[in-house]
Amino acid sequence: MVLVLALGDLHIPHRAPDLPAKFMSMLVPGKIQHILCTGNLCIKEIYDYLKGLCPDLHVTRGEYDEDVHYPETKTLTIGQFKLGLCHGHQVIPWGDLDSLAMLQRQLDVDILVTGHTHQFKAYKHEGGVVINPGSATGAFSSITYDVNPSFVLMDIDGLRVVVYVYELVDGEVKVDKIDFKKTAAPQPAP
Amino acid sequence: MSVTPEELPLPGSFSPRRSCGEGSRFCNRRGVRWRINLGILPSSQSASVEDMRRVAADSRRSYASLRRRLLVDPHTMKDGNRSPDLAMDNPLSQNPESTWGRFFHHAEIEKMVDQDLSRLYPEDGSYFQTSACQGMLRRILLLWCLMHPECGYGQGMHELLAPLVFVLHADLDYLSNVRGIYKDYFHDEFDGLSYPDIELVSRYKIKKAKSWDLGDNGDLCQGNDSKITCLDDLDQDTRDLYLLNDAYGAEGELGVVISERFTEHDAYNMFDALMSGAHGVVAMSDFFSASPSFISGASIPPIIEASSALYHLLSIVDSSLHSHLVELGVEPQYFALRWLRVLFEREFSLNDLLTIWDELFSSSNDSCMENEEYRFRVLRAPRGAFISCMAVSMLLHVRSSLLATENATSCLQRLLNFPRNINVMKLIEKARSYQVLSLEANISSSTESCAKNRSSTPSRDGSASPKTPLRIVPDSYWEQKWRVLHEEETLQKSDFSKGRKIKDLLGKKLGLSRTESDPSPAKNTNRKQQPGYSVRRRLLDEFSQKYVSQGDPVHEILPGHGSPSNEDMSKCFIEELGDQNIMRISEEPCEQITAEEICVRTEISSVSSMATPPNGEVNDVFIESERSSLTSNSIIGENEDENHLVEDECKSEFNKLVPGEVDANSTAVKSESSEDAEVLGVPEVKERKSFSSKFQWVWKFGKGNSLEGGLEGGANALSQRSSTFGNGNVFRESLGGLTSDQNSSKDTAKIEVGDTKMIGTLKNLGQSMLENIQAIESVFQQERGQAGNVLGVKGQAKAIAALKELRKVSNLLSEM
Repeated sequence: MVLVLALGDLHIPHRAPDLPAKFMSMLVPGKIQHILCTGNLCIKEIYDYLKGLCPDLHVTRGEYDEDVHYPETKTLTIGQFKLGLCHGHQVIPWGDLDSLAMLQRQLDVDILVTGHTHQFKAYKHEGGVVINPGSATGAFSSITYDVNPSFVLMDIDGLRVVVYVYELVDGEVKVDKIDFKKTAAPQPAP
Repeated sequence: MSVTPEELPLPGSFSPRRSCGEGSRFCNRRGVRWRINLGILPSSQSASVEDMRRVAADSRRSYASLRRRLLVDPHTMKDGNRSPDLAMDNPLSQNPESTWGRFFHHAEIEKMVDQDLSRLYPEDGSYFQTSACQGMLRRILLLWCLMHPECGYGQGMHELLAPLVFVLHADLDYLSNVRGIYKDYFHDEFDGLSYPDIELVSRYKIKKAKSWDLGDNGDLCQGNDSKITCLDDLDQDTRDLYLLNDAYGAEGELGVVISERFTEHDAYNMFDALMSGAHGVVAMSDFFSASPSFISGASIPPIIEASSALYHLLSIVDSSLHSHLVELGVEPQYFALRWLRVLFEREFSLNDLLTIWDELFSSSNDSCMENEEYRFRVLRAPRGAFISCMAVSMLLHVRSSLLATENATSCLQRLLNFPRNINVMKLIEKARSYQVLSLEANISSSTESCAKNRSSTPSRDGSASPKTPLRIVPDSYWEQKWRVLHEEETLQKSDFSKGRKIKDLLGKKLGLSRTESDPSPAKNTNRKQQPGYSVRRRLLDEFSQKYVSQGDPVHEILPGHGSPSNEDMSKCFIEELGDQNIMRISEEPCEQITAEEICVRTEISSVSSMATPPNGEVNDVFIESERSSLTSNSIIGENEDENHLVEDECKSEFNKLVPGEVDANSTAVKSESSEDAEVLGVPEVKERKSFSSKFQWVWKFGKGNSLEGGLEGGANALSQRSSTFGNGNVFRESLGGLTSDQNSSKDTAKIEVGDTKMIGTLKNLGQSMLENIQAIESVFQQERGQAGNVLGVKGQAKAIAALKELRKVSNLLSEM
């Protein structure tokens, strides 16, 4: 029962002043065990805020991030799953599923979390899951028209991951849930 | 110091436990016995095996449903239900009703519980640290907290739970051993296939099954000589045990009383019964609550009340230790909190603890005082009493080291690190012996409270009993001294008549043990009686001596009166004295008068003391008269400025003098119409005279106004005098009284004094003496009129004051 928060592309303070109030009221410290941030925070204050939500924070570098020392990609293991994190502006064409699959194979992860398109996507693709949490602030994007603030909460429990998508539509938080199950990988004989 | 279950002795060789008493069943199976004691299993002797199984099954069912209901797993929300409203049921939902909300709430409680559980018997190999046990404990505690949200989880609850689980587990082991002995005869195995009747024994059975086929029965007997071929051959307990625990009884497997599968259920039920008290008196959950219990109407939290019950008991049993601890400022709850909340689990090793809890649980939890008023809620039941007594016996065990400590810190250190290598049975025996005492001590009369209960009036209250023979620990020399002093105090404070009662009571209660070591009360009483008479005698002698030398007329008068009562004699005395003094004063200069006035006043006061009634507060009078004579002496010594002196002295003496005057006035003026009310009203106010009134009186003295006119006016005013006299009126009235008295009663020689001052002062002195005498008379008349000989306080005070004044006046006059 591990709760992992995935969000990104906040673009604070350039394109948005802050997270939506309803999101902020939901994000309270103590419930979430990990945070994966795709990038483009952009300033340190946001980093500190996220760090206050959960001490285990992973950030990858987006093109507008002011801190230049974030890595391009990151991988970590939570429970039975391997997760990969990347901002996504490096993968061209932006948001192309096959290219992202290539990145997933490259990183050798079960779940890949990327951003940059400011649009929520969650695909099960060739034995892996690709998740795009969208933009948590609904910041303007040059490649997308209507951007709704959204983020993703993953509930990893054994071999099963439940993905909750929180989207702010017309001022209301809409929640959706997607179940993914990982097939047990065959144990290598010693 | 944990005992892993594997170390438990085999059934044939278990260590002798305490005798069960009353033939309670399953003496040696703690799990079963405790469940009976806690009320989970039927406790009547006639409860059959079926009943027990049924009750056990019911309790387990309730727990199982509870668990199913409360334990939340958000993932198990199947799509079979209406698909949950995700807006509500997502993990970040703030809604506390949502599954996730409850989940997080439980997670918080579990976090707290885990903090404690991780520290529960953390030794290697400890049963309690196995994940199965920890999971079970966690679930039980979580569910209990969820069922009792008002109480929540308190640190230490896990320590109450752990021995319960241990005991159940121990029973399991015992059962498997028993089965191991007898299994060959009772297991169902046919055709080489084994049908384990309970999975409990299956592991044992599997091992045995192999060798069964070898047909080697001898090895399987394990030294069991008797041939057992059927159930009836077993002894009662073992048979009952067997019947309780096979799969064929009532309720099937759910009814198996000692069951591994339902350990959690049983432990939960035991824990719940312990915490809630099972409709009894002692509910452990009370001890975890910080708020005052509203059931008993007490204003303090129950744990504090229980701690004070402990101290109360200690004060009965060993008051020296109690007072020592109180002196050091060691509040009972500093150490008792830990002791009581976990029922001594932290102070003893597990084995010792189990013995203590045996005794504890076997004490009934039902209140044995139904309608009587009690002082401590916790002491209403034998179980509560045993807890307190156990604590007291623990305190007594470390008594010597406690008494040796000089500060509270080291005391507490000693108490919080209780020695481990102790003979628990001795402590338990002691505690048992105090149990009855504590139950009795809990009875209180309705008005008394602990605080003021050093009184000597007989009561059933235990705290008066430091003086009773129930005192178990013999007093040391200092303790006895303290007690002696304390008794003196109480005797002195109380009225003399009460004092006699006290003395009698003490004498009765204490018997021989007290008479030698406590001579003070007797001394006190003797002393009280003697001084009065001696003073009287002395004063009489003084007077007689004085007047013998001065002249015959007085002397003749003295014996001539010969009236039996002292007061009459004194009155006559003073009359004559007054006459004498007045006559003699005439020649004296004014300056000396002031000093002599004072002497007279002091003499009056001493005479007044002489005339104290026999059963009055002789002691007080004696003291007062001494005081007044002392002051008079000191005053006479300082003869600086007459006027100032007079003023000062009058200040101190006035309040004694004037009331007497006023009394005398009222009696003199209204001799026919005795207005008792007014006279009585006066003494109440007499104690506090205002300075201005004194000053005015003095001023009048010094100035020597034309008294006749003023006095007559004052006499008229007297009749309309209100009960609370004003300053100005007082002395005017008194002067009026003086004059009238003088005119009426005195036919003394006309004083030819050149100085009006002198005349005035002399007159006043004489009058004041007379008035005081008359005041005394009036008081006694009134008192005699009323019921009883014992003077009320008011009457006494009046009399005393009046007599004091007389004494003063006579002293002054005699000096002239």
